[in-house]
Amino acid sequence: MSFIDLKGTLKPLTALKQFGRKPHTLKEVPFVPLEAADRYRGFHYNDIEKCIGCGNCATICQNQAIDMVPVEGIEGHKGDSGLRPRIDHGRCCWCGLCVDVCPTSSLSLTKDYLYVSDDPDSFLWMPGVDNPDGKERKAFTGTPETSLNDFQRVPMPELEGMERVKSFAEVVLGYNEEQARAEASRCISCGLCTEACPDHMHIPEYINAIARGNDADAVRIIYDNNPLPEMCGKVCTRRCEEVCAIAHRGEPIAIRWLKRYATETARNADIIREIVNPEIKEPNGYKVGIIGAGPSGLTVAYYLALRGFDCTIYEANPKAGGMTMYGIPKYRFPEESLDKQIEYIQKIGVKIHFNTKVGKDIPFKEIYEKYDAVFIGVGFPKPWTLGVEGEDLEGSIQAVNFLYEINNGKQVDVGDKVIVIGGGNVAIDAARVSRRLGAEVTILYRRRVQDMPADWEEIEGAEQEGVHIIPQAIPVKFHGDEKGHVKAVEYLKAEMVPDEKGGRPRPVPIEGSNTIIEATAVLGAIGQQGDYSFLEGVFAERIKIERGRFVVNEKQQTSDPKVFAGGDAANRTADAISAIADGYRAVKGIEEMLVGTGKDV
Amino acid sequence: MEERKKEIIQTITDHFKDAVSNPYDGNRVDFTIPKQQIPAILFYLKDEMGFNHLSHISCIDWLEDKQFELVYILWSYTDRVKVFVHTRVDREQPVMDNIDMIWRQANTYEREIREMYGIRFAGLEAPEEFLLEDWQGPPPMRRDFDTYAYAMKTFWDRQEARSNAQDVRETIRRRTGEELPDFAKKYSR
Repeated sequence: MSFIDLKGTLKPLTALKQFGRKPHTLKEVPFVPLEAADRYRGFHYNDIEKCIGCGNCATICQNQAIDMVPVEGIEGHKGDSGLRPRIDHGRCCWCGLCVDVCPTSSLSLTKDYLYVSDDPDSFLWMPGVDNPDGKERKAFTGTPETSLNDFQRVPMPELEGMERVKSFAEVVLGYNEEQARAEASRCISCGLCTEACPDHMHIPEYINAIARGNDADAVRIIYDNNPLPEMCGKVCTRRCEEVCAIAHRGEPIAIRWLKRYATETARNADIIREIVNPEIKEPNGYKVGIIGAGPSGLTVAYYLALRGFDCTIYEANPKAGGMTMYGIPKYRFPEESLDKQIEYIQKIGVKIHFNTKVGKDIPFKEIYEKYDAVFIGVGFPKPWTLGVEGEDLEGSIQAVNFLYEINNGKQVDVGDKVIVIGGGNVAIDAARVSRRLGAEVTILYRRRVQDMPADWEEIEGAEQEGVHIIPQAIPVKFHGDEKGHVKAVEYLKAEMVPDEKGGRPRPVPIEGSNTIIEATAVLGAIGQQGDYSFLEGVFAERIKIERGRFVVNEKQQTSDPKVFAGGDAANRTADAISAIADGYRAVKGIEEMLVGTGKDV
Repeated sequence: MEERKKEIIQTITDHFKDAVSNPYDGNRVDFTIPKQQIPAILFYLKDEMGFNHLSHISCIDWLEDKQFELVYILWSYTDRVKVFVHTRVDREQPVMDNIDMIWRQANTYEREIREMYGIRFAGLEAPEEFLLEDWQGPPPMRRDFDTYAYAMKTFWDRQEARSNAQDVRETIRRRTGEELPDFAKKYSR
């Protein structure tokens, strides 16, 4: 027994032998923090380029932690609000709902979770802008499986392809109530679509009204700036659906079909009037003359009539509707549907003189002098010709004229082999109508199928109905028989040559690739142009026309202040909704010119 | 597996006349049963049928039906089959039997459901407070709990720093000059 417990003193020093050894508890020396789990929910990261600023994240956030703010270098445009989310990290609870509802999957959560600062306001920052390196550590990302968005459209019931060609029955059958509510519920109400719509219709509002089961309110909202919504509900070119937030990863909301559903709940003109119940102002004594009862003319007449103007439309044809009446086949847009809308517009007090062609039955001068303002919505009635040999043979018909005759209830004999030339909606319409008349139909188009300006649904519909499409084919000659009737079309195959200036590829004919196909009729559909022969004498000079269209200002006013113009004859987009938008702008222009800007005149 | 699933369904529906089997694909068997029979069916599944493991107890607030739904999820290691047992309790007087004598871990799940949904478990022995500290308000996982109002009341509102926030719909509307009528505004987001 000694005073010093030597063993007890020295023993702990044996622990020193561990010194310098690799520790078991740390993976790396020096210390490297462990990486968080694969689906860790740390700080946000936002792919600024992919984000469209729909604001769905800000809406879902129950902690009100997300604001939408403008970012330098990002300009808002169609399909992008120009705003980006900024997050108050003092409020965020990392629930990840913002990621789950992000339609583009631009927003995600990262593995980062450390942030230290003594300035409370510095917890407010923009993911993706203030932490660009977060991209490397994305963890909780939006996948189609985890997303709370519904990417599948409620399928539209349609007649089957070979059933359709038996008659002119409407192909699209329309949503029932249950389907419409389900489809409307997919909308996230961001409103990006309203910018793409030429007429800026109140899309999120009426879709939301349908989703909530209030169809009457939906109809009322729709009629606020579109007097022909059932037509748009059936045949609109729907630029809105192209920019739909849901379309980034799924099928866009069926905005067109929902509008159709809502407007079809009002079965006749009286019911429309009862539902819309518009306020019609006392007559203000001003008279407005309108040339052409197409979409733009009808829009001008309807909204001016509501504002107390006395409106008279002059229409060359026996029925109103313009191209929507005489250009669109009845299987897409039945006549009753149009009649109902025209009847409603007439009930509001709009007068329409049918079978009255300006320039022939009544001179333009008379209209100009009789009315306080004139609106010209004459459209593009004259087809372009191909300019190839044999185009004047019998059986070579212009597609617009062909559709006009058919829609007018006339018979047109096209035989059993029809060739349609062109790739726009008129060409497809003419082809599908010819199928219904029992012919074998071939479409010749100079570019590729994907370059066709027609709606893809129309192209697909035509193919389902057995229409044969030959792309990259340039017609060079129509052959006739001894009676002067067309019997074949000769065309050259074309190859696509990339455009050096960066435009779309041009078709260049291949020498010697001449091919001849038999035909009993050829329908040309390569576009239309205006016919302004009704503007005589002094008016031809006073009202300026450039490149086949009226020159108008932002109020649709021509170079003659009293004359306004709209529709195909004034815009480049050439569709019904743009015509309606022109009309709506002209309404404001005419009102401003005649009664001033004061709202309560 | 399909045969075993059929056997399980058959045995349970034979022993529990009120149990309704809901069809499911894969290795899932699913029953709905009145709440009084929950301890009995769980005992039976554990002791007689080999469902040794309680994976989870979940709760759903059916506000419109004025009911809560409790879901007990069990697992059998031998059959590799999971059983879901659903039951509904009244939302006004939400009381349920405690089952932590069958599986000890049920105690934790029940504490959580008690705190988040306000369902009382008769005979549950555990401190009243679980995850929420000094919570005075209504159970926060109930659907009628207004999270937004709570957040606005509770968190510091950086009014000045956040004043440049914009509404997406309004920004686009201003840009296009769209005139939104007043009666339509209630349908905006």
